[in-house]
Amino acid sequence: MIRTYRALLVAQLQAVSQYRVQSVLWMLLEIIRPVIFLAAWVAVANSQGGQIGAYDVRDFAGYYISLTLVLQLVFSWNAYDFEYEVRLGRLSPKLVRPLHPIHYAVVENFVWKVTTFIPLVICLAVVILTFDARFRTTPAHLLLFVPSVLLGAAISFLSGWVLATTAFWTTRVHAVSTLWDRGLFIFAGMIAPLALLPGPLQAIALVLPFGYMLGVPAEILRGGIDVPTALLLMVGQAIWVVFFYIAFHRVWRAGVRQYSAVGA
Amino acid sequence: MIRYVRLLRLFYRTELQYEFEYRLNLILEILQTIVVTATTVGAVLVLFSYTTVLNGWDLGAMLVLLGCFYLVQGFSELVLQPSFEKFMEHVRLGTLDFALLKPASAQFLVTLRHFRGVQITQLILGGIVVAVGLSRLPAVGIFEAVGFPIALLCGFTLVYAILLALSTLAFWFVRVDNLMAIYWAFMDAGRFPVDVYPGWLRVTLSSVVPIGIAVTVPAQVIAGRLDPLGLGVLILGTVAAFVLASRFWHIGLRSYTGASA
Repeated sequence: MIRTYRALLVAQLQAVSQYRVQSVLWMLLEIIRPVIFLAAWVAVANSQGGQIGAYDVRDFAGYYISLTLVLQLVFSWNAYDFEYEVRLGRLSPKLVRPLHPIHYAVVENFVWKVTTFIPLVICLAVVILTFDARFRTTPAHLLLFVPSVLLGAAISFLSGWVLATTAFWTTRVHAVSTLWDRGLFIFAGMIAPLALLPGPLQAIALVLPFGYMLGVPAEILRGGIDVPTALLLMVGQAIWVVFFYIAFHRVWRAGVRQYSAVGA
Repeated sequence: MIRYVRLLRLFYRTELQYEFEYRLNLILEILQTIVVTATTVGAVLVLFSYTTVLNGWDLGAMLVLLGCFYLVQGFSELVLQPSFEKFMEHVRLGTLDFALLKPASAQFLVTLRHFRGVQITQLILGGIVVAVGLSRLPAVGIFEAVGFPIALLCGFTLVYAILLALSTLAFWFVRVDNLMAIYWAFMDAGRFPVDVYPGWLRVTLSSVVPIGIAVTVPAQVIAGRLDPLGLGVLILGTVAAFVLASRFWHIGLRSYTGASA
């Protein structure tokens, strides 16, 4: 298995190095939305004398910078390619290989994250300076952040595959994934830190998986919540990982049976 | 002129017929647009649950702005995005010859040829959001009522000009879809008034990617926050941008060589 992964890794690194500019541009795309909402919250905080709940302007900056970093580490886009592959029948050659297609996706994601990490950090440094961000991170937070972001990535990756696998039946994931994206938009901590979502929205956010992908690791990285709360939220993350892992296995097995490429 | 209007009608009728072939898909896309708009309005409401004004914009003015954002974005996704995507494809494949040989302005044929009818939903929703915002503002005067469509038209034209200039680069570099992707990313920033952003982003949104101007100024006009002088500057700037972009297109066209030329 290790040898397989090493081979895949080298191949993917070579593939990516052909499109260096493209990688950086796509990374900029990811960074722009958190900056938009950061600017909006800073404007709101300033109109209220600089403080909203437990957040002042510099805390908002710390939060959204953490969120951008988490977004980069957690996000996986393979679900979007998958519909394409199913619809065009390109999945067939991958299915007859001795390796589950999910392994290719793991490597693609990993390489993407590694290669875009340095330009991302440079961009974030600019944002940190622009907004004079504040972090309340302690070593304990950093220690918790590592497993938390891994759990977040696992939720994002597995749920993305569950969504993608519905393409076996519908061949049109787009509508489903739009709904999912909007759920992320509202409940993951993008439009507001989870603690600032108004009443019912916050309760819903704690029940849905979205916040556990992005908002929770971001707050831990910023040091915005204390250690017991962080541990509790990480249990929530673990539950969602298990849920999506089981769901993925079920759906995948049923789906492959359903799948027939054009001309098969 | 009348000939061009008739051509446009013809183009759009065939495109609509094509879209109606896939009815389920059409309905799904309309639903998606509604969900996207509703959640964005929701995001603004979340922000306004903590304040009554955002940089001097109250909720009514902010909704007008958001509506303008959907009008501008709807217009660009309705006509410009599909047409410019096809254009770049034509350059890459060398099939632009077919447009150049036709007895009509090539710029017209290339930039307004394609049409995604489903995006009319976005225009309608934008109109609704503007109307809701207006109902929360004091009554609209003559200047605002006349100035708003003019400013909006300027906004559309600005977006047209920047996209035309960007895609003209395809004549030299062939693959420019990444540059276009940058444009679409910055487009997202148009949903808030351009004055909330930090310096470097504000400058980008008012010059290189004038989406900030295209959305913010029409909203300012109808919310009664802009004097006639400001509107005049906008009109002049828009005309200049349009003329420059068209000139650039003609220069670019000269270096187009076709498939087997």
